[in-house]
Amino acid sequence: MELNIYAYKCKRCGHVQYPYRTLCRNCKENDHNKFDIVPLSKKGKLVTFTHLYTLPADYETVKLTLGIVALEDGNKITGQLNIKEPKIGMQVMGKVEVVRKELYEKRLGMVFYEV
Amino acid sequence: MRDVYAVGIGITTFARLEYPLVEIAAYPGLMALRDSGLKKVDHLYVANMGGGRVNHQTGLASAVVDNLSLTPAGAETIENGPASGASAIKQGYMAVASGMHETVMVVGAERMREVNNLEATDFVATLTHPHAEYIYGITLPSLAGMFTRLYMEKYGVTSRHLAMVAVKNHANAMFNEFAHLHQPITIEGILDSPEAATNNPMVADPLRFFDCCPVSDGGACVILATAEIAKKPDKPIIKLAGIGQATDTHAIHDRQEPTDLLAVREAARKCFEMAGIKPKDVDVAELHDAFTILEIVESEEAGFFKKGQGHISLEKGETKLGGKLPINPSGGLKARGHPVGATGVAQAYEIVTQLRGDAGQRQVKDAKIGFTCNFGGFGNNVVCLTFTRES
Repeated sequence: MELNIYAYKCKRCGHVQYPYRTLCRNCKENDHNKFDIVPLSKKGKLVTFTHLYTLPADYETVKLTLGIVALEDGNKITGQLNIKEPKIGMQVMGKVEVVRKELYEKRLGMVFYEV
Repeated sequence: MRDVYAVGIGITTFARLEYPLVEIAAYPGLMALRDSGLKKVDHLYVANMGGGRVNHQTGLASAVVDNLSLTPAGAETIENGPASGASAIKQGYMAVASGMHETVMVVGAERMREVNNLEATDFVATLTHPHAEYIYGITLPSLAGMFTRLYMEKYGVTSRHLAMVAVKNHANAMFNEFAHLHQPITIEGILDSPEAATNNPMVADPLRFFDCCPVSDGGACVILATAEIAKKPDKPIIKLAGIGQATDTHAIHDRQEPTDLLAVREAARKCFEMAGIKPKDVDVAELHDAFTILEIVESEEAGFFKKGQGHISLEKGETKLGGKLPINPSGGLKARGHPVGATGVAQAYEIVTQLRGDAGQRQVKDAKIGFTCNFGGFGNNVVCLTFTRES
């Protein structure tokens, strides 16, 4: 099964938000069960990135490349980059993989590759 | 609502302090009591972010009010991330302005060096969005790194401009006895020489070591009171004339234009409106330069310079001591240090010192109006203050 990261589509106004908010940012709809869960697109354009050299304790690598990607569906997402020489504006493709290994848990998130 | 005045101030040295968090908070409180000539206060607000997590000390305000023997005065701890300090000042303002209290002590204190750097960075990273940011290894430096790269691309800011902020603020801190870093630096040493790569390694590309504030312990205090009490001490009368606060999205990627700091823009606008002044009236400003880029961008968003022009004004020396608008005469977060909960109060301490004319070698000539910007999260909760000299 292909793994996805999900966004929340408002049943009233259709606005898609990621990450989750209890109230829709667009129409402030406050009924219960008001979101449809929709998978985020995986293709997009790199908005910005950084190579982080002072890593949180859970990582055993020398550096971590992190970035913000503008997805084809109009949403933006923060994720890890598995790209040697990233450039602002380049096309990237995401995969859901383990992004953090904590003591008892593996966290899944979006990792982007060069297209 | 009645007017509110800053009648007493106090501060600790910002450094690695080897005494308990409660005393880091109490000591500046004691200094401020002496400074104001007051023997007691009606209420205490203590700004702190990590007491429970880092120092195993919850209910900090209750501990501090007892340590200062100010019981049975009311006391509360205020946690609003790195903007806790200015938030606590805002609470103090409301308590006096509303008529509920005559005198309020506002303390900010943090002890982050009790744990190692990894834990301190992780503690601050808990500010980020838990599912959309934190799980990826996102820390505050990495958010600042991504922000800086885009700002450079869009507005032509270079590593040299960032280094200029660091050099200026380190130079200012040499005149501040309470500053964490008493270390003059040069562009050559941190950027141009062959040794620069060793002196100034990359932290979150394009941000280097000297673009980031140190991890500090420290405390600061401001006592707020009514006009009648402010007239008593033989000191210039300093009014807390304006407060503005605004918020922005939790996750940074959620912002329409990632290079805008809308919360700074809105908080500063409200603050100036309340004080009845314009950005050009400000004589001295303390901005939240946790990363060098932030001093440049906040100076634009607050309205001192046009968007994308802050680095040009920096280049011309307009933000140096003696320039048109000196920014961070204290050394800023960059060199005075950044004990997160204390920073907003320390900024107010510096502005009151400047407006009183007590800042010694770092004094801004004839400073009558001072501005502070306390920046929480990565710009998701910002509190700005304006102080004016009345006499």
